[in-house]
Order: sequence, then structure tokens, then C-alpha cells
Amino acid sequence: MVKLDEAVDAKIDEAIKELLSSEKPWITIVWDDPVNLMTYVTYVLMELFGFSREKAHELMMQIHTQGKAVVSTGSREEMEHDVARLHEYGLWATLQRGDQTI
Amino acid sequence: MGNIAERRPDDMSNGVDEIKSGFTRHGNNDYVAYFSPEESEVLVNLVEQIIELLGERTDNHSDDPLAAMVGITTHDSPPEDDVLLRLLPNAYADQVDASEFRRYTELTLRTKKSAHAMSMRIDLKSSPDGCIEVDHEGANAWLGAMNDIRLALGVRLKVQENSYEELEILAPDDPMRGVYAVYSWLGWLQESLIQALMDDAL
Repeated sequence: MVKLDEAVDAKIDEAIKELLSSEKPWITIVWDDPVNLMTYVTYVLMELFGFSREKAHELMMQIHTQGKAVVSTGSREEMEHDVARLHEYGLWATLQRGDQTI
Repeated sequence: MGNIAERRPDDMSNGVDEIKSGFTRHGNNDYVAYFSPEESEVLVNLVEQIIELLGERTDNHSDDPLAAMVGITTHDSPPEDDVLLRLLPNAYADQVDASEFRRYTELTLRTKKSAHAMSMRIDLKSSPDGCIEVDHEGANAWLGAMNDIRLALGVRLKVQENSYEELEILAPDDPMRGVYAVYSWLGWLQESLIQALMDDAL
């Protein structure tokens, strides 16, 4: 009996692990846009996320040169909140699951 | 991302010998700019158009006052107008998720953007001498509102397809030339306010 319980426990553990690993966090992406000024994007990222000027500048440059950048990760609700705030200031942002192709 | 004019675009200078530095920081939390009556009029005009545009769809949900009261709109389709779609973009690539999100959040987004625009409008309307003085919060409202105006003008100018080089050489009789002049001037004005705010963050 003990042997069987251990086998069941191991299976449950495995199932939980699998479930947790598939629950990848959600991400907020900011896309490049021909209108928004580079300094404006940097400023908005500093204001909304509390990033240092260096960090905000780095993300802005990534958006500018690569067309997009992940600016925050977390739960779906948190990312929806971030996207709404970015939209309020006119940045072009979307959210999606972290394990989805961007 | 967008380019800015390094100097104040000539088309908007109107020959007025006012201080031509856009926004400057005064003290710890004051951002000041002077506008000629013509400039104020242009800004009021533009910001009122944004307010009107953002209000357009709000009549649609009068058929469900309860939903309206809790900020839910009865429509969930993206705006058909390109300008409005840029101001109120989809939050998801997936259309079903995008619609659901829009249904619960679009009204709030419209309200917040309108609040930025109305704050800018009141500042301009309540300053007969053209002197605008805003604090950090007021400055953020101005930035949001000016950016919405630039996004709207950018859609009309098709900045997505047209390069800035192409827009620079528009013919004098091209109606888009005036739009581009205002667009450039607003970029310059926005940049001056950002620089003043960033000085603050040092």
C-alpha cells in the first residue's frame, strides 16, 4: 500500500508541476509608432512604471530599433491595467501570454 | 518613432517676438509657456476636435443606462474611423479578447483622454494673456492631449506611409502642408515640455 501511495503522490506532484509551468506570466508589449517622440516614450515609461531614465531609455531604443519591447510581465489583470495606462498616454501597447510568439 | 523639428517651425512663428522657447521650468513644479492669440486659437481648436471625437460613440449606450453607469459600453467592435482607432487601439491581437477588453474599458479610456484634453482647453481658455502655467499633473495632461492631437494629425498625414522627407517638401498649395506645419510645431512644443519635466527628474 505504501508503495502505491508513493506512486500516486509522485504522479500528483508531476501533474502540479506541469500545470504550474504551463502558467506562464502575461506580458505587455509596446510597439514602434511613427508619431510618438523618442523622449516622450522614455518619459511615459518612467512615469507609469517608475523606471530609471537609463532603463526607460534602453526599452525605448529597443522599441525604436526592433519594433517592439516587453515593458512589463505579470498576471493578466496586471497587464490589462498596464495596457490601459499606456493607451491613456497614446503608446501603442498590447498584452498576451508570455509563451505566445510575439 | 517620430522626429522633431530642432527649431521652432517658421510657419508657426507669426512674426511675434514672444519668448520662443516653448515650455520652460520655473521653480520646482511649474512649467510655463507663452502663446500668441493665434497659437492659442489653433490649440483650442485642435483640442476641441479631440474632445468631440472622443465623445462620438458615447451616445450609443444610452439604450442601457445601467451598463453605462458602471462603465460598460454596449459596443465592442473597434472604431471604424482610423483616427479613433489609433486613439482607442485594440489591446489584444486576438479579436475576441480585444472585443471583450474594449467592452469593459473603452469608456474609461475615452473619459481619461477627454479629461486630458479638457484640462488643456481650460488652461488655454482661462489665460487671456496667453501665459500657461501648469504643475506636474497639469503637464502630464498637456502631454497626453498634445500627443492625442499629434496621433490624430499623424493618421491624416499618413505618417505611416509617407516619410518625413516627403512631408517636408509638400507643395505650398497642398492642404496637407498646413497640417504638417501644425503637426511639427506640436512635436516641438511637446518636446520642450518633456525636456522641462526631465530636467526635473535629474
